[in-house]
Amino acid sequence: MENVSDVTFYLAIGIFVITYAIIISEKIHRTVIALTGAALMVLLGIMNQEVAIEGIDFNTLGLLIGMMVIVTIAKDCGMFQYVAILASKVGRGKPVPIFILLGLIVAIFSAFLDNVTTVLLMMPVTFVVANNLKLNPMPFIIGTILLANIGGTATLIGDPPNILIGSAAGLNFNDFLVNLGPISLIGTAVTLAMLYFWYRKQLVATPAAQASIMKFHPREAITDTPLLIKSLVTLGLVLVGFFTHNFLHLEGATIALGGAALLLLLTMNDPEHHLRDVEWTTIFFFIGLFVLVSGLEHVGAIRLLAEKALELTGGDVTVLTIVLIWGSAIFSAVVDNIPFVATMIPLIHDIGAISGITLTPLWWALALGADIGGNATIIGASANVVVSGMAAKEGHKVGFVPYMKVAVPMTFVVLLLATGYMYLRYL
Amino acid sequence: MDRDKKCTVDAYMTKKVVTVTKDATFADAAKAMIDNKTNGAVVVDDNKKVVGILSSWDLIQYVVPDYLEADKHLAAFESADVFAKRVHAVKDAPISKFMSKHVHSTKPEDSIMEAATLLSEFRIRQLPVVDDAGVLVGYINRTDIKRAIGEVLGLSE
Repeated sequence: MENVSDVTFYLAIGIFVITYAIIISEKIHRTVIALTGAALMVLLGIMNQEVAIEGIDFNTLGLLIGMMVIVTIAKDCGMFQYVAILASKVGRGKPVPIFILLGLIVAIFSAFLDNVTTVLLMMPVTFVVANNLKLNPMPFIIGTILLANIGGTATLIGDPPNILIGSAAGLNFNDFLVNLGPISLIGTAVTLAMLYFWYRKQLVATPAAQASIMKFHPREAITDTPLLIKSLVTLGLVLVGFFTHNFLHLEGATIALGGAALLLLLTMNDPEHHLRDVEWTTIFFFIGLFVLVSGLEHVGAIRLLAEKALELTGGDVTVLTIVLIWGSAIFSAVVDNIPFVATMIPLIHDIGAISGITLTPLWWALALGADIGGNATIIGASANVVVSGMAAKEGHKVGFVPYMKVAVPMTFVVLLLATGYMYLRYL
Repeated sequence: MDRDKKCTVDAYMTKKVVTVTKDATFADAAKAMIDNKTNGAVVVDDNKKVVGILSSWDLIQYVVPDYLEADKHLAAFESADVFAKRVHAVKDAPISKFMSKHVHSTKPEDSIMEAATLLSEFRIRQLPVVDDAGVLVGYINRTDIKRAIGEVLGLSE
């Protein structure tokens, strides 16, 4: 940090706070306002362009873009639908086993795919299964939301906050799997059990409805076998890459973009079409946030916050960890967890630099709070918003308060388990 | 066709047009199209001004749920009763919810080439013909243009 004038200091904080307030209010598209705030940080001389660009984490961007390209190509072969249809047949057309199997599939897909991609793939198949069973799809809708966010916690690539944390803290794929995998699994199992008790009276179907599920031929979901093989080869190699990336000394973006290049090469597809399908608005939102946060860092505001946080908690790791889990969860329940995590990362770095405490538990606490906290409200995470939009179109409106009645207690239980897990394992 | 014969829209357009009013429902529109054995209807307001256009595509797309359109792998697995259920669910929906509001139209004095260009450029099947005030006076479709082509080639009569 250089010496900065008071004007620059307050200007940076002003731009940051106003930008975040507008992002939360959703009056202007989050990407537009994040880029505007970022541009102002540079235009008003808080930092020069060089510093701004240094603040952008290209490893995070590369990882996101690579995975988006792979999934947009792979989803056309029908393999994700195949797995879900197969599960309902394995469940012998009985609603409870199907409900649990579909929930597990959502959690597993979500661990390896972005949460929004997971729900976009799983909701249509869920509607089809519920229609065949002649059931109200609401238990499935709520289950998909909760399990997408809990499953996403398990790996580096499961949820954007994890990518941000992993990239900034130098934590690799296996670190996430070993440290967050177990609690994600416990959270999934406990949530499924709670959902079962909550909805068990609704999960009943007639023999005729069960028979219609048994008539499914899952193979019919596979519409493109050559593409299926190419996609499986690529996804397999990417996973091997992630499992071994610390031995290979490769960063996440190299593996994801390498996989994307391989799948584009194998399919010889028109790259323009697939590259257009990358969610560029999300990518540019990240770019804007990185620059905004680095402006705040540059003027020393983040360091000041870190000092305050240490002062308030007495620098006690246990207190810091617990405050971080629950604080992140509450924030993420109300606002987008990506800007929150982007701001917390340099803050935690500074806490480490000032006090010299081990940061590992703090990174896991941030990831757990931010990923799981999003479950508490229908606006808490992007996946929730996408699912409720799809459900409303089919005439199943997920109300704000009715959703919370189910989700808040379940989120609370999972967070409690996460706190216990953290305490026993790290503190 | 004679070189000096009028190559304008009014020489080929159909004057009898199937119309539905803008407050009609899905079921009204379906009935109008079935009764008149047509796949297209023009939506007009009380002053016969064109406010939209409706084709049987619009009806079909409105019946098919979005989640099936989004995922081509799933239609084969959908429960058989969903079609009838969906039709019942949408039968009272106002046509303004699914008609095309952005209507390309042509005027009686426009050239056939102009009308043909619109059909070709936007890959549409029919164009309402309106006067200067925007009031519906006729209708020109692919069959009418085909007739004009036939006349140029001396294929008819």
